[in-house]
Amino acid sequence: MHIHAYEKLWLALSIVLILALIGTVTYGAVGPGVAMVADSQSTVDPGALDEDDRFSEPRVEQVGENEYEAYVVAYQFGFEPTPIVVPANSTVTLHITSRDVIHGFGVAGTSANAMAVPGEVSEITVETDEPTEYGIVCNEYCGAGHHVMEGKINVVSQSEFEDRGGDSE
Amino acid sequence: MSAAIESEPTFVDKFPDEARVVRAAFMSSFFALLLGAIFGIIQTLHRTDVARIIPSTDYYTVLTAHGVFMVISFTIFFLVGLFTWALTRSLDRPLLNIKITWTWYGLMAAGMTLTGISILAGFVDSIDMSADVLYTFYAPLQAHPLFYAGLTVFIVGTWIAGADWFRTFLAWRSEHPDERIPLQTFMVLTTMTMWYIASSAVAASVLLFLLPWSLGFIDQVNPTLTRTLFWFFGHPVVYFWLMPAYMLWYTVLPKIAGGRLFSDPLARVVFVLFVLLSTPVGIHHQYLDPGIAEGFKFISMTNTMFLLLPSLLTAFTVVASVEYGARQRGGTGLLGWLTNLPWRKPEFTGMMLAGLMFAAGGFSGMVNAGMNINYLIHNTLWVPGHFHLTVGTAVALTMMAGTYWIWPQISNKPIFSSQIGLFQVVLWFIGMALMSNAMHAQGLLGVPRRTAEPEYSGFDYPTMFGGFEELNIQIAIGGTLLFVSTILFLGNLALTMGNPTVSGLAEPLPSPVSGAEDAPKVLDNLRLWVGIALTLVVLAYALPIAAIINRGGLLGPGVGTYPVWVAPLFDALADAATPLLAAITDASGSLLEVVR
Amino acid sequence: MGQSEAVNAPTDDVGGEGEEFDPIGTLTLIGIYFAILVLAWVYIYFVEFLGRDLVVVG
Ligand code: HEM
Ligand SMILES: [Cu+2]
Ligand SMILES: [Cu+2]
Repeated sequence: MHIHAYEKLWLALSIVLILALIGTVTYGAVGPGVAMVADSQSTVDPGALDEDDRFSEPRVEQVGENEYEAYVVAYQFGFEPTPIVVPANSTVTLHITSRDVIHGFGVAGTSANAMAVPGEVSEITVETDEPTEYGIVCNEYCGAGHHVMEGKINVVSQSEFEDRGGDSE
Repeated sequence: MSAAIESEPTFVDKFPDEARVVRAAFMSSFFALLLGAIFGIIQTLHRTDVARIIPSTDYYTVLTAHGVFMVISFTIFFLVGLFTWALTRSLDRPLLNIKITWTWYGLMAAGMTLTGISILAGFVDSIDMSADVLYTFYAPLQAHPLFYAGLTVFIVGTWIAGADWFRTFLAWRSEHPDERIPLQTFMVLTTMTMWYIASSAVAASVLLFLLPWSLGFIDQVNPTLTRTLFWFFGHPVVYFWLMPAYMLWYTVLPKIAGGRLFSDPLARVVFVLFVLLSTPVGIHHQYLDPGIAEGFKFISMTNTMFLLLPSLLTAFTVVASVEYGARQRGGTGLLGWLTNLPWRKPEFTGMMLAGLMFAAGGFSGMVNAGMNINYLIHNTLWVPGHFHLTVGTAVALTMMAGTYWIWPQISNKPIFSSQIGLFQVVLWFIGMALMSNAMHAQGLLGVPRRTAEPEYSGFDYPTMFGGFEELNIQIAIGGTLLFVSTILFLGNLALTMGNPTVSGLAEPLPSPVSGAEDAPKVLDNLRLWVGIALTLVVLAYALPIAAIINRGGLLGPGVGTYPVWVAPLFDALADAATPLLAAITDASGSLLEVVR
Repeated sequence: MGQSEAVNAPTDDVGGEGEEFDPIGTLTLIGIYFAILVLAWVYIYFVEFLGRDLVVVG
C-alpha cells in the first residue's frame, strides 16, 4: 500500500504526539505525584451512613502531625460538614460519598475535583497552603435544586484551627 | 425533453424510493434541530442570566430536551438518511426491500416521539410524567418508563437499519464477487459494526436494569454499573455522530473543492481504526469516579490517545485532497492555493470551517483525555465548550453544509439561496467561536456545566480570561448568533422545498488519486476487525465491570445484593485475560503489517 | 447516474498511476497545527493544572 512520504512523516509526528501526551500524564503521576480517585476505599451502604464509622459523623479529624482526614457527605442539595475547616500548610485527605444520588465535588478554581457516588467513596489527598477560602460546587446534575448546592472549604491558620477545637477527637 | 435525457440522472432520478426515505430522515433530523436550537437559546440566556423566561427548576427539562434532541435525534436521523444515500449510491443498486426501510424509519420516529413526550411532559405540572435525567440518565435519578422504552424502540430501529444495509450489501456481493467494497459502503458497514458493539451495552443497561427499575420490578440498581454501561456506549456514540461528517469530508468535500480524494486506502484504515478503538475507552468519562482502579483508567487513557491517530490522519488526507483540488484549479505557492478554492459555496466553506473547529476541539479533547489533568476541567463548562466544537460544529455544521450539496441530488430542487447559505455557515462559525471559547474559559474558572444558576452565594470565581460576567456576555451573544444561523438554515431549506424541480443537477463523485486497488485486501475483511474489536472491548471492560459488580452488587450496594457467583467469575476473568493479551499482540502485529 | 465510483469501473480511473502531487501546503498547515498543539498542551498542563492550588497528590 502506497503512502505519500509527507503523510508518513505526519504519521510519525502523530505517534510522537500521542506518546508525549501519555508521557506528560505519566510524569504528572510520578513527578508531582498526582493520583487518581480509585478503589482504595471500601463501599458503604448509602441508606445507612449513620452506621458507618467514616460517615456517621461528617467531620475533620487529625490523624498525624499536620495530617488531617475529612469525611464529607453530599446530599440533595448540600454538603456536610459545611464549611469544611482545615488548617493551613497541612495534608488533608477527603473522603466523599453521597447518601442519595450522584453528585459532584468540585473546588472552584483549583485542581481538586471528584464524583460523589452513592455506595462508593472518593478519596483525594491535597496539600493546603496559606489561609484562604474556597467554594465547593456540586458539578454533577442531581435534581431540581442542583444549582443551590454549594459548600465551602476554609483554610485557617494553625492557631485558629486549634481555637475552634477543629479536631473533633 | 432532450435536455432532460442528455443530462446525467441525479440520485432521485435513479432511486426515487430511496430518495424519499433519505428526505424523510433528513426532515426528522431538522425538526429535532429546530427544537434543540429553541431549547439551546433558552438555556444559554438563562444560565448567563441575560433572560430567564422559565423557573430554574425547569432548566433541567430544557437541558434534557436540548441534549436528547440534538445528539440523539438530529445527528442520528441525519446519519441514517446519509447512509441510505451513500450505500445505495455507491453500490449502484436499490435497497432490498423498501418496506423494511420504512419499518426502521417508523420505529425510530415512533421511539423518539415517545421519548420526546416523556421529556416535554416535564413542563406540564398536571401530567404526572417527567424525564429530567439529562441525556446521560445516570441512576439513581429516574425517568418515566416511557423515556427508556422510547429510547429502546429508537435503537432497535437503528439496528434494523444496519441489517437493511448489510443485507443489501450482501446481495450486491453475490452479484459482484470479486470487486472491492466501494468506499462509501465500506464506511457505512464499519460504522454500523461499531454501533452494534457500542449500543449493546446501553441496551443491556436499559433492558436489564433501568426499565425494570422504573416499572417497579426491581428496587434498586448499581449506579456505578449503569453509569459504566452508559459510557461503554457513550464514547463510541461520539464517533457514530462523527462518521457521517467524515464520510462527507472524505467523499464529497474533495469533489466540491474541484479535486479528488487523496487516498482511498488510508480512508479505509481510518474507519477500521475507529471500529477497533472507539469502544475500549469509555472509562475516560469516569476518571474521577470512585470504585474503579487507577490501572483501568490508565488503560482507557492509552486507548483514547491512540484514538487520536485516525483523526490526525484524516486531517492530513482531507486537507491534501482539498489542496489537490486547489492546484487543479490553478492554485500555486506554499499556501497561495488557499485562494483558489470555492469559498463562495456554502457547502465548501461550511465543511472547511467545521473542520477547522474540529482541529480546535481536538486540543480540548486531548485535555479531557489526559487522565490526571481531567481534575482541572471535569464537569466544568469546559466540557460543553469542547463538544460544541466537535459534535456541535464539526458534525452539525458539516451536516448543514452537506445538505446544501446533497438536497438537490435527492429532490431535483436547487438550493433557494447560496448567499443565505454562505452567510449562515459563517455566522455559525462566529457564534460558536464566541460561545465555545468563553465556555472553555469559564470552565477554567471552575464554573460547572449543567446548572441553571452558575453564580453562588458563598464565593466568587477568580478573575482570569476576562472574568465570569464578561464571559457570560460572550456566551449569550454566541448562542444568539447560533440560533439565528439555525433558523436561516431551516428557512433556506424550507424555501428550497418550494422551488420547482429541474434537471441537470447531478454531481457525480470522482475517483480517488490513490484508489481502492491500492488498498490491501485485508482491510475489507470485516470479520477480522470485529474479532479484534471485541477482544479489545473484553480486555478493557471485563475486569472493571466484574470489579464494579463485585464491589457494589449487581443491583447496587444495598443489603443482600452481593451475588456469590461474581467473585469466582472475577478470578476466572483474570485468568482468561492473559491469553487474550497474547492474541491482541499478534493482531496488532498484523495490523502494522497492513499499514506498512 | 454516473455517480458510481471508480471501484465499479476501475478502467475509468485516470489517477493512481504515476500521480506527481506533493501536498506541501498541507504539510505546512499541519505542521503549524502541530506546533500550536504542543505549546497549548505545555501551557495547560504545567501552568493551569499543576500550577493551581489543591493538586490531588494521593
Ligand atoms: C443553537 C445552537 C446551540 C446553542 C445556543 C447551544 C447552547 C448550549 C449550552 C449553553 C449548553 C450548556 C448548558 C449547561 O451545561 O448548563 C449546551 C449543552 C449541550 N449542547 Fe448545545 N447548543 C447549541 C447547539 C448544539 C448542537 C448543534 C449540539 C449537538 C449536535 C448540541 C449539543 C449539546 C449537548 C449534548 C449538551 C449537553 C447537555 C447536557 O449537559 O446534558 N448543542 N448547549
Ligand atoms: Cu448537584
Ligand atoms: Cu469519550
